[in-house]
Amino acid sequence: MATFITVSRRPIMGMPFGIPFLLPSYEPVSLESRRNQSSYRRTKQRLRIKPDASFGLSSDKSHSHIVYNPPSSSPSVYHTPTKFLPANDARRSLRADNYANAPAVEELPSVFKSEAEKKYHLTPSDVTEIRKLRLNDPMTWSRGKLAKRFDCSPLFIAQVCQTSPQKKEIQKQVLEAVQSRWGAKRRMAREDRKLRKESWGRDE
Amino acid sequence: MKRLQLQRWSSSALSSRARTDGRLQRQLCSSKRFQSTDATPVQPASEQLAEQQSFPSTTIRRPVRVSKYKLPSPPVQAAHESAKLAALHARLYLPSRLPLETLARCLINPSADRNPQFNNSSFSVLGHDLLTNYATEHLICTYPRLPLSVVFATLYAYVGPKTLAAMAREWGVEHAALPGGEVDPGLLQYKRVDPGTDLSTEPLVGTTRPNEDQKHWRKSINSSVVYDNEFGDPDLAGVPPSELQPEQAQNTKPVTMEQASADFVRSVMGAIYLHAGRAAAKRFFEQHILSRHLDISSLFNFSEPTRDLVRLCARENYEPPVAKIISETGRRSRTPVFVVGIFSGKDKLGEGAGASLPEARARAAVAALKGWYLYSPVEVRVPSTMEEEGAAPWKPVYVDLGEVVS
Repeated sequence: MATFITVSRRPIMGMPFGIPFLLPSYEPVSLESRRNQSSYRRTKQRLRIKPDASFGLSSDKSHSHIVYNPPSSSPSVYHTPTKFLPANDARRSLRADNYANAPAVEELPSVFKSEAEKKYHLTPSDVTEIRKLRLNDPMTWSRGKLAKRFDCSPLFIAQVCQTSPQKKEIQKQVLEAVQSRWGAKRRMAREDRKLRKESWGRDE
Repeated sequence: MKRLQLQRWSSSALSSRARTDGRLQRQLCSSKRFQSTDATPVQPASEQLAEQQSFPSTTIRRPVRVSKYKLPSPPVQAAHESAKLAALHARLYLPSRLPLETLARCLINPSADRNPQFNNSSFSVLGHDLLTNYATEHLICTYPRLPLSVVFATLYAYVGPKTLAAMAREWGVEHAALPGGEVDPGLLQYKRVDPGTDLSTEPLVGTTRPNEDQKHWRKSINSSVVYDNEFGDPDLAGVPPSELQPEQAQNTKPVTMEQASADFVRSVMGAIYLHAGRAAAKRFFEQHILSRHLDISSLFNFSEPTRDLVRLCARENYEPPVAKIISETGRRSRTPVFVVGIFSGKDKLGEGAGASLPEARARAAVAALKGWYLYSPVEVRVPSTMEEEGAAPWKPVYVDLGEVVS
């Protein structure tokens, strides 16, 4: 979808003379009337760049085509991805030849810096030990420490066990103490951040 | 300086025909009462009449000699004298088989005239069923994968009371200040709720849901299919008229303008179906309801889009989704833009742009989920097309497994 065409500044005389309404009018700059860089005409001249290639004429110079150059925008959600089409849908076969010029997925960089490889190395006995440790001494064995010891993610620790209610209460008080030191600006910024995050799901 | 006495001056300067205090003025003054929408001032007589008009004695109502001031709604004969009614009939391009009398009856709410032979209650019940039936089949056949909550919201947007009231306003239907027999039959007649009444104070009782008094119980979206109405709102259990208490039947509860307008639009639909047939009703539905633009994609709200997408791909046996950066600009600047695509195998499922990588990834997941839910078959055929003459044999439509539960 997103095609990026680098527009090079070419000398004005080298422009094709096919589309007169898009062409800039050439004005010779006399040397004695040179002014500083921010003059109106210079600024305007700088802005005169070659139009996008898709705006130009096709090779046979015929004017029988429609210029379709939409601004870059996100694809419509009503355009169902080919993978999501049912097996008997006619659009599957129609889109089959579009696959050839699609960019290779493997070459694209990942969103995450390092892909966490899933190991699946913990056994049920490990899980029972995690639970026992966390139940007996929740102050020592926090999620982070357990995750480091068992070489897994803190999310996995949260999935297999819960902390004691006393620890939860203490943690809540700590959070309240921290939040009580926040001023109006920081509090508002945090709230705004939460609201912005909610708006992602509504696609606003 | 003496003031100019305009009245006397004008009466001497103007010709006698143009004088305002002529016969015309007197006539206007006297006919002002007829234009008022007030009910008749003779209250005891009207109450007496109301008692006579209770349900059993509906067969011989309105003898010829009853004054129209004593009637709760305009007489049937008045329909042909109303310019408003004829204009409304022409404006809506209603079929000529729908008589003006029926259109006049559509404008009379049960709160104005409780006699079911003269109000629009029966029409509006039929029209409501037709509207929701046509809207539901259109929606489910066009978008077979929509989640239930979105189906409810879409139906509310298409045939909900707010939309129908807006339609009545767009049609130019005005309402009478008070219903009565002398009112122009082209006006919508209903008993209004007193201004300032809080409608949401009293709790809803008599719904079809069991244990309705348990307010803190969780209401699942699937139970709404069984217990609630077509918009997912609590549904009142209907009471047949034979079981109604006599004082209940006598009391006409005032309604809001929105309710009365919605009932009017529904009853027009029902009246078209009864007088002009199924095809005309379907055409009316397509021209007035389906022609309204609704962007269904704006009704979605995902709280965990990435997790839902992982669940969806696992359910449908696709490769697990992977987020990749398609393009980016200004990573070290104040306003960066990242374009992230979500891929499953070699196929792109969705694409989203955002000011941060998590935002772009979440938006891409939302786009992918919407792409799944907003799938629409190429050729949509609704079940009601089978009612037409010489319809092709029915082929089963695509119906999805259901929404992604995570």
